[in-house]
Amino acid sequence: MTSSPPLVLDDPATADRRRSPLGRELAILAAVAACLFLMPYVVDDYALQVGYLILQLAALATAWNLLAGYTGLVSLGSAAFVGIGTYTMAMLDERAAPVWFAIIAAGVVAAVFAAVVSPAMFRLRGLYFTIGTLALAEALRMWMVNARTFNGAAGIYLTGRPPAFYQLYWLVLVAAIGATAVVVVILRRPLALRLNAVRDDEDVAAEMGVRVFRAKLVAFAVSGSLMGIIGAVQALNTRVVVPNGAFGLTWTVNIVLVALIGGLGTRTGPWIGAVFAILLQESLRGYPEIHLAITGAVLLLVIRFAPSGIGGAMADGRRRLARVWRTRS
Amino acid sequence: MTTRTRLLLSLLAVVALFAAACAPSSDDDADASDDTSSETSDDPILIGASLPLSGPLAGFGSFQKWGYEHAVAQVNDAGGIEIDGVQRQVELIILDDKTDPNQVTTNINTLISNEGVTALLGSCTPDLVNPGAIAAENAEVPFVAGCDPIEVFDGVQEWTWAWDIFFSVPELAALSFQTIDGLELETNRKVAILHDNGPDGQIIGNEIWPAMAADAGYEVVANVEFPVDNTDFTAAIEEARDSGADILLVDNITPQAVSLRQQMAAVGWEPLVMVNEKGAEPLQYAEALDDLSNGVMVGAYWDPSFPFEGSAELQEAWDAENDTSSSQHIADSYTAARVLLDAIARAGTLDQETINTEIGATDAEYPVGHVKFEGNNVAKIELAMAQWQDGVPVIIFPAERSTGEVVFPLPGS
Amino acid sequence: MGIAAIDVGAIAQAASTGLLLGGIYALSALGLSLVLGVMRLVNLVHGEVTVLGAYLGLLALSTFGLDPLLALPLVFVVVGLAALPVHRLVLAPLAGRGEEAALLTTFALAVIMQNLYIQWFTGDTRAITRPYSRSTIEVLGLRLPGVYLMGFAISLGCTIAVYALMTRSGFGRRLRAGAEDPMAAGVVGVDVGRVHAQTFALGAGLAAMGGVLLGLAFSFTPTSGTAFLLVGFAIVVVGGLGSVAGTFIGGTMLGVLQSLGALMFGDGYRGFIGLVLFLLVLALRPNGLFGRTAAT
Repeated sequence: MTSSPPLVLDDPATADRRRSPLGRELAILAAVAACLFLMPYVVDDYALQVGYLILQLAALATAWNLLAGYTGLVSLGSAAFVGIGTYTMAMLDERAAPVWFAIIAAGVVAAVFAAVVSPAMFRLRGLYFTIGTLALAEALRMWMVNARTFNGAAGIYLTGRPPAFYQLYWLVLVAAIGATAVVVVILRRPLALRLNAVRDDEDVAAEMGVRVFRAKLVAFAVSGSLMGIIGAVQALNTRVVVPNGAFGLTWTVNIVLVALIGGLGTRTGPWIGAVFAILLQESLRGYPEIHLAITGAVLLLVIRFAPSGIGGAMADGRRRLARVWRTRS
Repeated sequence: MTTRTRLLLSLLAVVALFAAACAPSSDDDADASDDTSSETSDDPILIGASLPLSGPLAGFGSFQKWGYEHAVAQVNDAGGIEIDGVQRQVELIILDDKTDPNQVTTNINTLISNEGVTALLGSCTPDLVNPGAIAAENAEVPFVAGCDPIEVFDGVQEWTWAWDIFFSVPELAALSFQTIDGLELETNRKVAILHDNGPDGQIIGNEIWPAMAADAGYEVVANVEFPVDNTDFTAAIEEARDSGADILLVDNITPQAVSLRQQMAAVGWEPLVMVNEKGAEPLQYAEALDDLSNGVMVGAYWDPSFPFEGSAELQEAWDAENDTSSSQHIADSYTAARVLLDAIARAGTLDQETINTEIGATDAEYPVGHVKFEGNNVAKIELAMAQWQDGVPVIIFPAERSTGEVVFPLPGS
Repeated sequence: MGIAAIDVGAIAQAASTGLLLGGIYALSALGLSLVLGVMRLVNLVHGEVTVLGAYLGLLALSTFGLDPLLALPLVFVVVGLAALPVHRLVLAPLAGRGEEAALLTTFALAVIMQNLYIQWFTGDTRAITRPYSRSTIEVLGLRLPGVYLMGFAISLGCTIAVYALMTRSGFGRRLRAGAEDPMAAGVVGVDVGRVHAQTFALGAGLAAMGGVLLGLAFSFTPTSGTAFLLVGFAIVVVGGLGSVAGTFIGGTMLGVLQSLGALMFGDGYRGFIGLVLFLLVLALRPNGLFGRTAAT
């Protein structure tokens, strides 16, 4: 089942790993974070809103990337984790829990959910896993729409004191930087090799001694909890939580589009994809159908002609440039 | 690649992100939205709205859009609004929320922060109106909406900046029974209720209809709840059939309303009386179902024949501009927009607090009736019962409003 | 709304309606099953093709006054032919690039189509209603909706036709050869690429025909595709990949189970039951109840 080649190219970082220690990569990330952190002081509300959307998508796409790009588990069930995070925040808000606690709790609950469904989900290999995650997310959505426990389709209103928007912006910034940092750190550890081994060929990996289930579980749980955290912040943004909004397929569609266009299996891919997607969305603001249709078309082109996404294509370009430079000098 | 190159590229990426984020706000008088300094008469008054122009509620959205735009055009044609001694035109900015509550919040925030709107108008149905109202309330921007039953709106939170003009759910619920009694329709007084589990569906289906039924001397023999996006109603229909009810009361949104009626015909059960609130309102219901829609009743808060200020003219304006039939939503939306614009005119300033106070002071007649806000920022409008007859919503009750004879029993029963 | 008292009549009624509806769903699912079984392609645009069929059926009626059931062959041919260039331009070049590339491409196609529908047809709810939409046939005390019976019969007929195609024609032999062992088939002279294109077209045509039938039974909007896709997957998984008979039986089974579930637990759980069943079968018997073990 996993005998066909994965969609991604190798992460450029793997090659450079020896040259650039973890500390420096994290420093770069910190520098980026610092710059973006200052934005609320410099730009207007609208730019901040755009920044929020970009960071939100970048975080989600990075989380998805961890699962799909590095571990080879293409999931169409992201909406489930975002929704779980959203509802966790709403329920804890009802009980007047502090915001920071609720956000962490959202991540934890999402991770627990991932752990609970993994024995069943990981029995499914390859394409079956993909369909399975889609079915799982939809089943969860349907259940949430009907179950009285969570108020069904009527939803839950958040009544706590709403944080200022720039605070939400900082939260998603932390989430996005944090997600990228997690990926950067993981790339340095043996776990990355194990994940890649699982991605390339699960059975061979198992024979080589990789604890396949555990590796998949780690990726699934980490990815899920990051999405849950973003969901929690989104709940603070919308202040009302309804099942179709929280668990809607729109989340999954956007995440997959962004991650693929940006470039699977790269660290900058999700960010590039997010910027591209939101810029396109905002420039076509009066025409949402056209914007989505164009995004779909771009994805088609990317899969066909630039399978490592815009990020990968840029990395390719950089490498070619570097080679030219070197042969010149 | 060296570390330095990478650092440079990363910083480049950050700057690009920065620039990218700032770039779209190129139409940027945005920051000066509230000041009253240095404005010319070319500077329009900006009003924003989020509407479902696509998705399941697109049927409502398109009519609302016309209603809002017509109100703005009317005011502009009459010279605009005088602000601080200067006549200014009104500009309406509409964003599509795709029937997605998340998008409503984003839209409202975009309208406030990027477009710099002075005030806002609402979307349609509680799921979409309430998030917008909440966002506006938090940003302290005046927000006027219709299309949100007043009890549902009231129940969300204490409002200061958000206002709602619509009907009362208990009155809507009672209307069904008043119509049957008032028109002396002969039934066995047994009622089956089918409702979705959305915010208003739950309230009207589980609490209010049963309560009103009891008050009016009717017996509820079946009460079935289904998900908002249900597609297969055969089981629910069988339950209603088995209960022996002559009267069917339904609350759902349009895709479900169409499926339900389709499937009732397929399984061959049609009660004597069928009332389908919400879902059967828009014209697309009658268009999709063709003659299957005949006889279905739905509460109406407006008809061109209503004797209110501007009623008939509104319909004439629609007919002049469109070939297709209209919908009562043009009146509700037009009224909300006029209430807002009239308040701004009375305020004579773009100061949002003053405008908000003036909205609260509204006390005048509009196409949907007399609008005066009470309690938690709600203004109640009256109801009448309409019935689809050959693609036209005919008002059948009360007598003083009716425009035609009732069709009884439901064709096919 | 708890578990209803044992009412044989109600159960029989629910089961029979479910059976008929399940059979109708099976026609569209058959398209999905073939594509999945033969091309190993998770066709995420399947739902949108089904909806396209519904819209075409409606168009046939409104523009040409042609009854949608009579227009079925036309819909089959039109959509099938339209699918060929799509396959050639978008999917064929990805052969050998792995399952994910093709899956994600169909995902992109689905996004594009859904939004095109909103542009072309508006977001309004539609339904196909005909004079015979109202007829009911009484059999053994069961009230069977005429429209569902016709749909069921048509679906069954098409299934039999496809089965015959699979087992008795040259095309069918090539298809099955390509599915079992593409390399060996290639060696023997089967043009696997061409077989894939034809399978894709056949799958699309079947999906579209199924869509016409579904449009007669349910309302539809541009976004109805996702629901159809999920039901299709549930049927395919339960019935078995690539198994023609299995898909039909799977469809009817799922229909019955969902209707009984709705009767007992309420309509809210109808879709939920379907998905849970789907997940269970996927986890326990991934080849479906009737699938060939060679599917993996």
